[in-house]
Amino acid sequence: MYILSRVVFSLVCWWLLASPLQSAETIHLGNPGEPETLDPHRYNLRLEETILTDLFLGLTTFNARGQIVPGAAAAWTTSSDGLTWTFTLRNGLKWSDGKTLTAHDFVYAFRRLLAPETAASLAYFMYPLKNAEAVNSGKLPSEELGARALDDHTLLLSLEAPYPHLPERLLYPTGYPVPKHLIDRVGDAWVKPKNWVSNGAYRLEDWQPQSHVTLVKNDYFFEPVEIERVSYHPLANEQSAYNRYRAREIHAISSFPSGELDRVRKDFASHLRLSPLLSIVYLVFNTTVVPFEDTRVRQALALVVDADLITVKVQRSGNVANGSFVPANVVDYTPAVMPHLNLNRGERRETALRLLREAGYGPDNPLRVTMRYVSGTEAKKTQLAIASFWKNIGVETQLHHAELKVHFADLRQGDFQVAQAGWFGENNAEHYLGLLVSDTGNVNYGRYANPEYDALMHAARQKANVKVRNVLLRKAEAVGIAEYPVIPLYSVMIRRLVDPAITGWHENSRDTHPVRFLGWR
Amino acid sequence: MARFLLTRTLSTLFTFWLIVTVVFFLMRLAPGGPFDGERRLPPEVETNLRAAYNLDKSLPQQYIDYLGMLGRGDLGPSFRQKDFSVNELVATGLPVSLTIGGLALFIAITLGITVGLKAGLAPGSRSDMLLMGVTNVGIAMPTIIVAPLFILIFGVALGWLPTGGLGGFTHYILPPIALALPFTAAIARLTRGSVVETLSEPHLTTARAKGLTERMIIRRHILPIALLPVVSYLGPAAAALLTGSVVIEQVFELPGIGRYFVQGALNRDYTLVMGVVVVYAALILLFNLLVDLAYARMDPRIRLQP
Repeated sequence: MYILSRVVFSLVCWWLLASPLQSAETIHLGNPGEPETLDPHRYNLRLEETILTDLFLGLTTFNARGQIVPGAAAAWTTSSDGLTWTFTLRNGLKWSDGKTLTAHDFVYAFRRLLAPETAASLAYFMYPLKNAEAVNSGKLPSEELGARALDDHTLLLSLEAPYPHLPERLLYPTGYPVPKHLIDRVGDAWVKPKNWVSNGAYRLEDWQPQSHVTLVKNDYFFEPVEIERVSYHPLANEQSAYNRYRAREIHAISSFPSGELDRVRKDFASHLRLSPLLSIVYLVFNTTVVPFEDTRVRQALALVVDADLITVKVQRSGNVANGSFVPANVVDYTPAVMPHLNLNRGERRETALRLLREAGYGPDNPLRVTMRYVSGTEAKKTQLAIASFWKNIGVETQLHHAELKVHFADLRQGDFQVAQAGWFGENNAEHYLGLLVSDTGNVNYGRYANPEYDALMHAARQKANVKVRNVLLRKAEAVGIAEYPVIPLYSVMIRRLVDPAITGWHENSRDTHPVRFLGWR
Repeated sequence: MARFLLTRTLSTLFTFWLIVTVVFFLMRLAPGGPFDGERRLPPEVETNLRAAYNLDKSLPQQYIDYLGMLGRGDLGPSFRQKDFSVNELVATGLPVSLTIGGLALFIAITLGITVGLKAGLAPGSRSDMLLMGVTNVGIAMPTIIVAPLFILIFGVALGWLPTGGLGGFTHYILPPIALALPFTAAIARLTRGSVVETLSEPHLTTARAKGLTERMIIRRHILPIALLPVVSYLGPAAAALLTGSVVIEQVFELPGIGRYFVQGALNRDYTLVMGVVVVYAALILLFNLLVDLAYARMDPRIRLQP
């Protein structure tokens, strides 16, 4: 017994000594999962983007309010046809090992991203560049890519077609430079903390999978930053994220259970940060199967879905009903909403019943629908509400749920009738409207095809001027939405909890919060 | 003995191969693939990815390649944790799982035997009733309930201990206790049962007649006999504690291999799931083999069986 207690005592001592001291300078942030990679060219997830934004700096970048501002590039000019962009880099840019960063590093990075052997799943983000698609599929050598360094400070990008949103495209990790001098020497092991070199405000210090990713200040970054060290913790479960926040182990979490919203509003009002994310959650019809190839059926079902009721009464988690396919908070664009929104509830129901009758459905021959959704409590409540709307017009709905991967794999294969889907991301209308173009491929889940819509989208994509482009895009949206290939439901509200002692945190529609803008009160 | 050793080892290896094969093909049968997500993947990109991860080959060829890699002790690259090999992931995760499992085993044995002995030495007494009542609850409460309760009470409400993650010493308190509870209860009941049985053995009377103190009698004459069933329970218990940490690692967000297993399965990370199964299978088979060999050593009847 004596020996045993000695063993226990020494174990305790060892642990106390071995436990890392919680440094006051470190900010601990929750991230909704474990990053799969920190190689910016291989990344695929928003939660990786969050960390990579602190580690690297693209030609353009986000400011603290999620607006697009110059990054590694100080300024840029565009040719009148919109096909050639010239970027001038900031003076004195350096990698975190002190080596000088030049325009050649960006050329190398774009070529690496699009090289087939990099197997970058988001390589297509850079398809606006000339020959990018051909290089990515191995049909052209990487030297043919439309990216050239005129000198150490000047980068020239040529495009396939005018693309006024290029500055937005360049701020994702797919547009980040990577250290050629290091990759040439150590290959894929460059992402290991012991080798790591990057050009952002922070560099990688430590990465314990499923535990934490720790970044430390990059002394060669061109701007001063306040936070010395940041630790990202993978908190995939909202409840445990909430627990760890309440136990004061984490300074900011990316989400908490929606059922706690009322309580948080009451007890931690100063911690709550709600930001409407650029996003659209919608129902999609498989337009290739009976009876959803019939516009009347799709319209009837859309007419009785009340998105306001869903967000305000059913979900109660802050999501915002959205009547158009393009989220309402996209800038410089007025979305075209579903035509029936000016009718009152009674009129909608009347019209829906009439449309169903015309399509051959009624009490003797009720319409039967199978609706698919991604497993989850909130999704289930939502789908049940929709099924009850449809029940009011005599439609029988069967619900079928599956985990996310299975759900979207099935959607891409067209194996569904009606399904829940979502699209997140950019601050421009074509990012969303592009989904309904007939040659978009399998993310046009419902295989919607309308020549008029396609023609308008194609015409828009030839215009270099954003305003002219948006006019055409809005026409396209109006044409598309009137045929109800989808039922837009709502935009997601991000619910974060942030320690009130943190300064510089601004809610924004991109939900981006680079640590270099944060500080302590 | 040599023949027994040989046949047992061979059948263990066969079982191992069977597990690897079944899991390999089951994993491929699951709907969805490692590169499925919400975002679109142009065909060129998908081709590049499949080539990079060897998925463009035929399934039998992939299987043969995998066995070859396994033979060299290489568990392959992780499909989803692209910056790590499965070997690296197992090397960082296994110590965490073994620490949690080991601590839980330690708690289960010391606490279980102490409680069982205390209750068994005075069967029918009030303390016996109380302790056995508590162990009943311990057996009945699954870890998946106990662990979140611990987090709510000790982490959120009282703020004494961290609610999850890895860090210092304090992070190693709640998870092993939560994991150990049902095993502690089981060991306590086993110990109590056999202590009560041993108490009626005639050799104890002899020992008392020799004038030994109660303390000596317990240590020399009761415990060694009473603990035999506990020892035989330890083989499966050790394996179960190791694999049981899958739930605990999820609830406490601990970076052990159990968590990799769950994440890997959800992500269709074929190589990672295979790697964790290989490690689990190897450990469990090793435990079983060791127990078998120990039995054979103790009992000659076993090693004579074909």
